[in-house]
Amino acid sequence: MQLYPLKLVTVVGEGVIMTDIAEEAMKLGATGFSITEVNGHGSRSARNVIETGGAKTLKAEFVVPMDVAERILTHVSHEYFEHYACIAWLSDVQVVRGQQYIS
Amino acid sequence: MTPFLACPPLLGFLPPAMLAVLSAEQINRMLESLERNLLTPIPLCFVLGIVCTRIHGGIKIPKELYLSIAIFLLMSIGFVGGHELAHEYQAHGVSTIWKPALATLFLGCVTPITSFVVLRYLGRLSIADSAGIAAHYGSTSAVTYAVANSFVEQTQHPANSFLPTLVTILECPGIAIALVLGAALMARERAAKAGGGRAREGKLGEALYEVMTGQSIMLMAGLLVIGFISTMFMTEQAFQPFYDFFQSKGMLFRGALCIFLLEMGLVAGERLGDLLKVGPFLVAFGIGIALVHGFLGAYFGHLAGLNLGGCTVLAAIVSSASYIAAPPAVRLTLPEANPTLSITAALAITFPFNIAFGIPIYYEMAKWLGAT
Repeated sequence: MQLYPLKLVTVVGEGVIMTDIAEEAMKLGATGFSITEVNGHGSRSARNVIETGGAKTLKAEFVVPMDVAERILTHVSHEYFEHYACIAWLSDVQVVRGQQYIS
Repeated sequence: MTPFLACPPLLGFLPPAMLAVLSAEQINRMLESLERNLLTPIPLCFVLGIVCTRIHGGIKIPKELYLSIAIFLLMSIGFVGGHELAHEYQAHGVSTIWKPALATLFLGCVTPITSFVVLRYLGRLSIADSAGIAAHYGSTSAVTYAVANSFVEQTQHPANSFLPTLVTILECPGIAIALVLGAALMARERAAKAGGGRAREGKLGEALYEVMTGQSIMLMAGLLVIGFISTMFMTEQAFQPFYDFFQSKGMLFRGALCIFLLEMGLVAGERLGDLLKVGPFLVAFGIGIALVHGFLGAYFGHLAGLNLGGCTVLAAIVSSASYIAAPPAVRLTLPEANPTLSITAALAITFPFNIAFGIPIYYEMAKWLGAT
């Protein structure tokens, strides 16, 4: 089995910005993303939209090479960290047939 | 329970003011009206929700159920509104409609500005906070409409049939005005500070687009058009089953409202702790501005020719604040605005106040103004 080392960028934040972040990441070189609804609480917890109204905390994950990962993390921290409840981290993953995820 | 505890000190200022304007008999009638309104299923379910959170009780309304009821309510409001609008149009053309519509549009544009001015200059809140909260108060709460409508039907003074149209008109302009005002003032403030802060291009347009195409407005306005067209081009018999489902003599609607208000009580109850964080000014604002806007609604409604129920409902919706459509729009455009302030004001102060006291008060206001 061929495994290829890539980076997993995970961004967790307010629902209103996550779809924007996903689109912007695609423009920065990500070839795809997954979004999950999560529950939680943070230092900002600026969850001003009532939960049942449909707004939520979302987690977006991108499997990308290192240079794209750096671009995404830089972009997210510059654009969103100042005003929105948001956290982002990087981890290492080994992807099956990973070559196709390098754009 | 803090909103109710906050009321006595505030109401302490009201009686002397009211006594100057109303007779003791009218005040008595108002208290009776308040009592009658509070001891009905819909507000009581709300109270149950709040009590449940305070005692850490175990009620949990499934999210999908809540969202389904919300969809049903919005569609009903739009559909029945469109149907009645068609009837009104067939009977009277636009003569009875255009004045209330214009009055509502006017109020929708005025309320964000009055809110902003009070918050900024009286409350000394920041531009972002003031504009953010104003965006909520410039819009409306469809649930408040439903409860107000239920109230006036119970008093045998149903509102003018085309009221749902006015709810739809009130939804968008207020948010747009407050956001544009806020964004413009913030840009000016940023330009004055040499090089401080960065402009957020493009998000205002995106936010406004989302407000215009959000679920609330699309369901209400969309079903309004559908109800209108269907009534104009279908026979009564063919239309009846659709009407029965959405109107169902108010039964399905009112029962669904009970479940909905229970959930709202649970949500508001969770936020009661925030009341201590936001401070007394905001509590006073949430109640005071609701009364002022409510009075404006009743006054202009009466001027535009609405009946007693219509004036009451218009007052209720003008005084109410949005907490579904406004928050994401504010979050995108004015991220510096503190969300705790706006959501607490709309959900934990104004909404409970309106449900418990506001609606009967606006009813009495409308009567005092001479509506029938």
